Amino acid sequence: MLWHAGDLLAAASGAASGARPSGFTFDPVAALQWAVPLLLIAPFASFLLALSSVRTRRSASATAMLGAVVTLLLTLLVAWGVIKKGSAFVATYKYVTMSVAFSGVANFQTFSIDLVMHADKLTVVALLVIEVCLIAAIGWHQLMGRNEPGAARFHGELTLLLFACAGILLSWDLAAMFGFWALAGALTYLMLAHRWGLDEPAMRARVALALPFLTDLCLLCGIGWFYARYGLANLSSLLANLHTNPGWTVRSIVLGSALLFVGVAGRLALWPFVAWMTRTAVTAPPAASAVVQAAWSIVAIVVLYRLTPIFVGSNTQTLQAMLVACAVAAVIMAVLGLFGNEPRRIITLAASSATAIAAAVVINAAYHSPAAYGIAGVAAVLAVAPARAAAMLAVSAIAGAMRTDDLTEMGDAWRRMRATAGALLLSALVIGLAATGALAFGVSSRSRIGFALGEAVLLLAVGAVRVFLGASFGPLRRRRTFDPERVREPQGALGFPYWLVVAGAALALASLATGWLGFIDGQKHPAAPAAALGLWAALGVAGFIACGLAFWRGKDGALGVSAFAGAWLQRGTSAGYHVVDRFLISPSMDLVRRFGDWLPAGDGAIGRFAAATGQLALASSRAPALPIVVALAVVLALVFALAAPGIVR
Amino acid sequence: MTLAAITTQTIGAGIFSSAFLLSLLIWVPVVAAVAIATMPNPRGRYDALVKQIAFFTNLGTMFILFIAYNQFENFLPTMQYEEKVPWLPALGVTYHLGVDGPGIAMLMLSGLIGIASVLASLGVRERLRSYFALLLLAEASVNGAIVARDFFVLVLFWGASIVPIALLILGWGGPRRVAAAWRLVGYWGFGTAALVVGVLALYAAAGGRTFDMETLLQTTLSPRIQLGISVAMVVAAATRLPLFPLHGWARDALAEAPAGVTVLVAGTTSRLGAFLLLRVVIAGEPAAAHLLSPVLAALAALTVGYAGLAAIRSLDIRHAGAYLAMVPGGVTILGLAAVSPLGIAGSVLSLFTGGLAAALIAGVCATLSERAQTRSVELLGGLAPRMPNIAWLMTLGAFGLLGVPILASFTAEVMTFFGAMKNQPVGGFAVAMGLAVTAVALAILLGRVLFGATNPDAPGVSDASLGETWYLGILAGALLWVGLFPGGPKIPGTDVPLFDPGFMLQMMAGVSDIASTNYSIPIPGASP
Repeated sequence: MLWHAGDLLAAASGAASGARPSGFTFDPVAALQWAVPLLLIAPFASFLLALSSVRTRRSASATAMLGAVVTLLLTLLVAWGVIKKGSAFVATYKYVTMSVAFSGVANFQTFSIDLVMHADKLTVVALLVIEVCLIAAIGWHQLMGRNEPGAARFHGELTLLLFACAGILLSWDLAAMFGFWALAGALTYLMLAHRWGLDEPAMRARVALALPFLTDLCLLCGIGWFYARYGLANLSSLLANLHTNPGWTVRSIVLGSALLFVGVAGRLALWPFVAWMTRTAVTAPPAASAVVQAAWSIVAIVVLYRLTPIFVGSNTQTLQAMLVACAVAAVIMAVLGLFGNEPRRIITLAASSATAIAAAVVINAAYHSPAAYGIAGVAAVLAVAPARAAAMLAVSAIAGAMRTDDLTEMGDAWRRMRATAGALLLSALVIGLAATGALAFGVSSRSRIGFALGEAVLLLAVGAVRVFLGASFGPLRRRRTFDPERVREPQGALGFPYWLVVAGAALALASLATGWLGFIDGQKHPAAPAAALGLWAALGVAGFIACGLAFWRGKDGALGVSAFAGAWLQRGTSAGYHVVDRFLISPSMDLVRRFGDWLPAGDGAIGRFAAATGQLALASSRAPALPIVVALAVVLALVFALAAPGIVR
Repeated sequence: MTLAAITTQTIGAGIFSSAFLLSLLIWVPVVAAVAIATMPNPRGRYDALVKQIAFFTNLGTMFILFIAYNQFENFLPTMQYEEKVPWLPALGVTYHLGVDGPGIAMLMLSGLIGIASVLASLGVRERLRSYFALLLLAEASVNGAIVARDFFVLVLFWGASIVPIALLILGWGGPRRVAAAWRLVGYWGFGTAALVVGVLALYAAAGGRTFDMETLLQTTLSPRIQLGISVAMVVAAATRLPLFPLHGWARDALAEAPAGVTVLVAGTTSRLGAFLLLRVVIAGEPAAAHLLSPVLAALAALTVGYAGLAAIRSLDIRHAGAYLAMVPGGVTILGLAAVSPLGIAGSVLSLFTGGLAAALIAGVCATLSERAQTRSVELLGGLAPRMPNIAWLMTLGAFGLLGVPILASFTAEVMTFFGAMKNQPVGGFAVAMGLAVTAVALAILLGRVLFGATNPDAPGVSDASLGETWYLGILAGALLWVGLFPGGPKIPGTDVPLFDPGFMLQMMAGVSDIASTNYSIPIPGASP
């Protein structure tokens, strides 16, 4: 693709000067053919720049910011072009094409991985939100992450993550999409494990590698499963042939869909795959955690939305199972968010619960096909993502200033760090209410799934807002080597989370409007009933009020109950890990150790046996021949006699 | 004349039309080895010359190889650069050499690894002449085994590689070199015996007239005989690749050998196992391949899983490197177990990428332990700031092993898994699980050694020397090059190759025919 740079430049020149009836005119549609590939090239070039020339913290940060801003501007240009064009822009670049067989079904004779870039409004909007989150995180990190090690490495990884996310969103070829997906996965691990020098972050980050890597491989296997049956990796072609390809079976689509769903669920951080986010939320650099959570939730929900037609092609039981999985995940994560008092973990769980609700809406829309309100779920995640990033940054600033990760020790942020606490409040409100539109559009409040999701909304609202209440009100505990009087707003750091959460709030409001949904997916949507909107919003508000009441009655009591529950959860989790360790990991490692130890011993025994055989042969050559021949004759006679018919058989 | 017209003819085309091109790749290193072994070197006066001869011999053969690679016709299903001279007519033995797509891929790998192993050996100080002579002999034997088209010649070269490598470990290895060398001799000797049994069985079953590979592999045999021969070949391959449970030599040999020999063994010599399976079982015995397919998939999964787990619990960085170097072999075997066109193509690419990745990870562990003056993972820590070159290359090696995009191993793994999902989905999934375990092992290793807390009690460290950086850089660069340009770079705006016709296109010569002839593509679920 790099070799197409000349073509791109020529196209760029043509777009700017080609059609010129009178003076300078610029056609954004014509610009798409170079602007869309540049969406990938710009962050990658920025990464290469950072890799080759950047050493200091400031220059690394400036390079990453430059890359992100340039990509943002390009995305806006592409958005302009796509809106004006009225349909998606598609361009295909060959990566590799090779003939693998000369006979058999045509689809299987050639293998190719193409970079099929499909830029539609959804792609552009999702990319814009990711870029906004990234820019805010870089800006926040410039001030608040000054003490983080490896600035060049960190910013290089951020830039490359943007490249990978753009690749995932643009790719319409599943193999290429997985390539970008895996790259983003590797970068995620490197970013979350950034504080290598400390044992705890390094250890916790291993979960961030192993767990999602496993689900990533499920995604690979799912794509491979479909490729092995259809010989197609292009999403459009696959969907067109899903039920027409010779030899297709519902069973194969069910299995493939399950693998794809698990693959996406891992990165969407649906329970039980949420551990890679929660365990690293406290130990990873806050900017990394914020970007990773926001970016992956957007990317994964978009991919889930695009894969939904495949799921629809399976059967209703599969869709029902996926729907139940999402709903259960939403409820469990919302409940887990009430346990324990680590604010970043709580925010992560609440936001992931909201994301799970959105995923349930996407699947529910597929379940009630041909309903087309799945996009409402995507819109909800687009609103939650900046809010969760803002919340992570804000709460990290508060935790850093108060030097504690325990809500019971926090307090008084509303007076001492008003802007940050305000951003945290708005984030909590957005997280709690973002799913309102999606639920109003996509789920009946009278259904069982609606009941479960409503419960999740109520609980996650409690979880989200209790972080704000716990940090903002009540006394700030004086501890050894900590002076509460020195807790104040970090200069210049408050702007980024503040503006980020405003973006989230705007997107949350937009998700209530059918015009916004129609803009994203290009379809007409009926307006949601006002009563439904009111009902779902009321649930979130009820959660806020309930939490407010509990804290008003007694902050210490409320947090004490959470701490008690959290301690039990911790014990349960430890017991679970212990069981896994006792019955799975330890035996496996013991087996490997024993085998590793046995091998040299076994080899030695074989060697000794061989040597003994040789010595026996040598000894036999020196022995008198006649007795040996007689003995052998006797043995052979016995053997033949026993083996002969009539003796044994 | 236009630029396109000028460059349509690939650069280098027509320079070599020699009938003994492949012989050059075998015998030039042998001649150089003899020259090195016999040249006088009073008090190490010509040590530098010895190294230069070894290096330029490899560079020269690589140059010849590159021309051969450029001239190679990827649309021809037949062997190319063939040489056929009667040798022992009474037995039906001919000196028959030839190369097809997988062969040229293996030769390119061998050429790169050859240069890397010499560069990795620049730090050798004792008995230089013997060391480099043996190294060149080992390389020659590997090249011979790759291009052999006669089973008798194959067995000779296959067995011949044991002696120099064992002597290299015995003479220049680490503290446990004696046990490592003898273990290698034992396992590889056993594998060679299995190969001899398989070849003799094939020879006898085909009428006992010739050892020529083409004739023997085209002979129609009953499935039972095919199975017997194939089992022997699998045993031979499993000892060499290595595959669980016949991997007993790998840990000690790769850990005790000097860095250059480790690179050679992990990179090419061990790949011969999978190459043999491809050549004989997959291409020649399709019925047996189908029967053995689940066994091969199970062996692949066990190998990857075991290697990952063993690497996690290794406290010696070279042991960890040795175990990790086993992982790509499992992926290659999974592709062969798939017995589908895409799986076979993936395994051919995986031969190349796996060799590079295995050599890179084993080599970087060897170099790191030399530079850090300890092999204990418990002592090593926080080395990244102090050895940035090694840190980058080790990280690249880890990514190469896991198949991260941009590196060629990603394409190989995608093809292998896509291929395996047709016939061996369970095996494919099990190998994927093994790769997840490997990822954890790599995370622990990288986290502890490179980025973890610095150990004040550890001995002093230094970054890789220029030669070491280059040898590791060549391996990483090749992975990156094929990953970025699998079809070769083109002149902008045209489809004309610039100077590299595309590795993935060249390696496919003959592979499509294996797949088309032996493995027609049934659609799963479709009625026959």
